[in-house]
Amino acid sequence: MRIRPIARGDLDGLQALAQQTGVGFTSLPDNRDFLAGKIESAARAFEERTPLDDRLYFFVLEDEENGELAGCCAIVGQVGRDVPFYNYRLGTLAHSSVQLDLHRTIDTLFLSSDHTGNAEVCSLYLRPEYRKSRNGALLSKARWLFMAQFRDRFPDKVLAEMRGVFDENGVSPFWECLGSHFFPMDFNEADRLTGLGQKSFIGELMPKFPIYTTFLTEEARACIGQVHEQTRPALEMLKKEGLRWEGYVDIFDGGPTVEAYIDDVRAVRNSRLCKVEVTTGAEQAERPSWLVATTDMLGFRAIWLGRGPDENDVITLTEEEARRLEVAAGDSLRILET
Amino acid sequence: MLVVRPARPADLPALERLASGATPRLTNLPAHRDRLEERITRSQRAFSREVEFPGDEHYTFVLEDRERDEVVGTATIRAQAGAREAYYTYRQETLIHASQQLNVRREVQTLSLSHEVSEATLLCALSLNARYKGTSAESLLRRSRLMFIAQYPERFSEILAVAFPGYLDSEGESPFWNSVGRHFFARGYQEMNHIAGVRSKSFIAEVMPQFPLYLPLLTPQARAAIGREHPAHERALEEMLAEGFTRSRHVDIFDAGPVVKVERERLETFRHAAWHPVRIRPAQSLPDAEPAMVANQKLGDFRCVVARYALSPTGQLMLSPEHAEILGVEEGRAVLAAPLALPAAEDALDEGEL
Repeated sequence: MRIRPIARGDLDGLQALAQQTGVGFTSLPDNRDFLAGKIESAARAFEERTPLDDRLYFFVLEDEENGELAGCCAIVGQVGRDVPFYNYRLGTLAHSSVQLDLHRTIDTLFLSSDHTGNAEVCSLYLRPEYRKSRNGALLSKARWLFMAQFRDRFPDKVLAEMRGVFDENGVSPFWECLGSHFFPMDFNEADRLTGLGQKSFIGELMPKFPIYTTFLTEEARACIGQVHEQTRPALEMLKKEGLRWEGYVDIFDGGPTVEAYIDDVRAVRNSRLCKVEVTTGAEQAERPSWLVATTDMLGFRAIWLGRGPDENDVITLTEEEARRLEVAAGDSLRILET
Repeated sequence: MLVVRPARPADLPALERLASGATPRLTNLPAHRDRLEERITRSQRAFSREVEFPGDEHYTFVLEDRERDEVVGTATIRAQAGAREAYYTYRQETLIHASQQLNVRREVQTLSLSHEVSEATLLCALSLNARYKGTSAESLLRRSRLMFIAQYPERFSEILAVAFPGYLDSEGESPFWNSVGRHFFARGYQEMNHIAGVRSKSFIAEVMPQFPLYLPLLTPQARAAIGREHPAHERALEEMLAEGFTRSRHVDIFDAGPVVKVERERLETFRHAAWHPVRIRPAQSLPDAEPAMVANQKLGDFRCVVARYALSPTGQLMLSPEHAEILGVEEGRAVLAAPLALPAAEDALDEGEL
C-alpha cells in the first residue's frame, strides 16, 4: 500500500470511493464532473501551476497488488480564499447581576470565518475492507510528512473538520433544530451543495446574529462539538498529533473543528530527513513503525516500513521498497517513527 | 358618584389592596407598601411641580366611589416611559435571507431589544376593583388620564403608549417567559415580575440577552404569545384601539404583551374634547344626553367624572350641583368634556406602526 498524488487517470477509482462515503462527507460528492474538476485542480496543484492560496493537494492510497484505490486524503492550502469558510464559534456570555444574586453563563454560537487562510486536512476516506494494517494512519499521517517537507507552501495553522453526530436514520439533530429553519432544503442537499463548492448560499441564508444555545433542543445541544461514531478513531489520531478543539463547530451538523499550529504538530516536528541505501534483502519488524515519504512533490510517495535508519541516519531499503517509493540510493527520504 | 383624582397618602391601604388584586399582577404596581408609598409621594411632587417638558414625573390617580367613601381603582401616567433609565421592549423585526444561487427568499422573524418606546408617555399601573369591571367607571379610570394629558400637553410626549399585560396560561405561567427569560434568570415569571416591580425593570433588562432572538427557535407556545394580551385585558385593549391607539411592533420583554402607541392628536378623546362654561341645573331637570367625561382645570386638584353631555343652546355644559361640587367648579367656570362613547373597535382603522 502506498500514498501518491492523485493522477488524471484516477477518475473511475475516485468515483467508486465517492459512492461509498455517504452522508456527512461533504468534500467527496458522487458527481463525476465535480470529481474530474477536483482531480484536475489537484494535479495542477502538484505541478505548481496554481496560486498558493487555492491549492488542493489530493492523495490516494493505492493497493499496489491490483492497482485499486483503497482510500484518499487531502490538504487544502488555504481555506476561505475563493469561497467563504464558515463555522460556529462556541462562546460564553455571562449574564450576571449582583442585585439579583444572579450569575449564569449562556453558551452562544457565533458565525465565524476565523479560519480563513488556514490549511485544512480533509477528505480522508478508507474503504472498509482496507481498514487494517495501519492503512488509516498512513492516510492520515502522510499528510504531515508532506507539509513538513513543503513547509513554505503552508500557512501557520491547520484545521480539520470532523463529521458530526447523526442518528440511526442519518438525521442530524443539530441540523433539524437549527439549520432546517434557515435553509429551505434537507441536510443532504445542503451538504451536497457545500461539497460542490457552491457555498455562497450559506452566508446568504445563515442567521447573522449569535444563537443562544439554550434555545436549541437538548438533542441538538448534545451534538455540539461531538463526532460521528465512525469518526472517533480519526479524531483520536489527530488529537495525538496535537490538534485541539478550540470551540469551533460545523454550521450544519455541529461536528468539531480541530486545529493546531503546523509547526507544533507532533509528526511535523518529529519527522526528519535520511539518506537511502538499497540492498537486496533487509529484515523488518512485523509491525511497521516507520512512515517514510519521498521529498519530491510530483513524485511524492509514502509507505510504512518496519525498519528505521541507523545511527548515521541512513535508511536501508530493499530493491522492492525502493521501486515502490521510486527512489534510488543516495536520495533523501523524510521519515517519522510512529 | 365616581370621581378620578390624584392619589393622596391616605390612599395607601387602598392602593395596597388594588395592587394585590390586579389580574394579572402588574410590574408597574407591585404589592409592596414602601414602593406604593414612594409612588404617592412621587406623584404628589409631580402634580405640584412646574413642568415645561416631560421628565421622570409619575402621576398616580385613584378612582373614588363617593357613596361608599372608598378608593376602588388606580392608574398612573409616566411622563416618559424611560426617563432616568431605558424602557426596554422587544421589537418584532423581519430579516430577509435570500439566495440568488438557490432562488430562495426566506423571511426570518426576530425580536430585538429596543429602547424606542423610552421617550413615549406611558399609561400604566391600572387596577380596578372587580365590582366595577365593564362599567363606565372602568372607561373613566382608563381614559381620564387622556383628559389630564389634553389639559397639560407640555408635561407629556407627543407619543403615548400602553403596555398590556401579556398572555398567561390557566396556571398563571407565561409561555413566553418560560421559553425566553427563564433561560437567563432561572426564575418563574411571577417572581421575576415582582422583583422588576419592586426594583426596576430596566436593570433586569440589562441582563437579558442583548442579541436578537430568532423566533423559529422559540417554542410554538412562546411564539403564539407574542403580542397577545392577557385574557382579562382583552376589552381594555379593544377600548384603547377604539380610542385610536394602534398596535406596534413592540412587545413586553417578559411576557410579550402588546405595546400600543399613538400620536396623541389622533386620539378620539383629543379630537372631540371641548371646553364649555358650566351652568348648574338641578339633576332632575337635566335633559337626557350621552355620557361624557368631564374634567376640571385644576392641576393638583384635578377631578374627572362621568356626566351627561347636556349642552344649552349657547354651548354651556349643564351640570348637576353634585357634579359641580365634586369638580370644584362654580357657574361660568370652564370644564373639559369629551364623549365617553367610542366608535366600535372594528371601525377603528389600524394603520400599523407609527
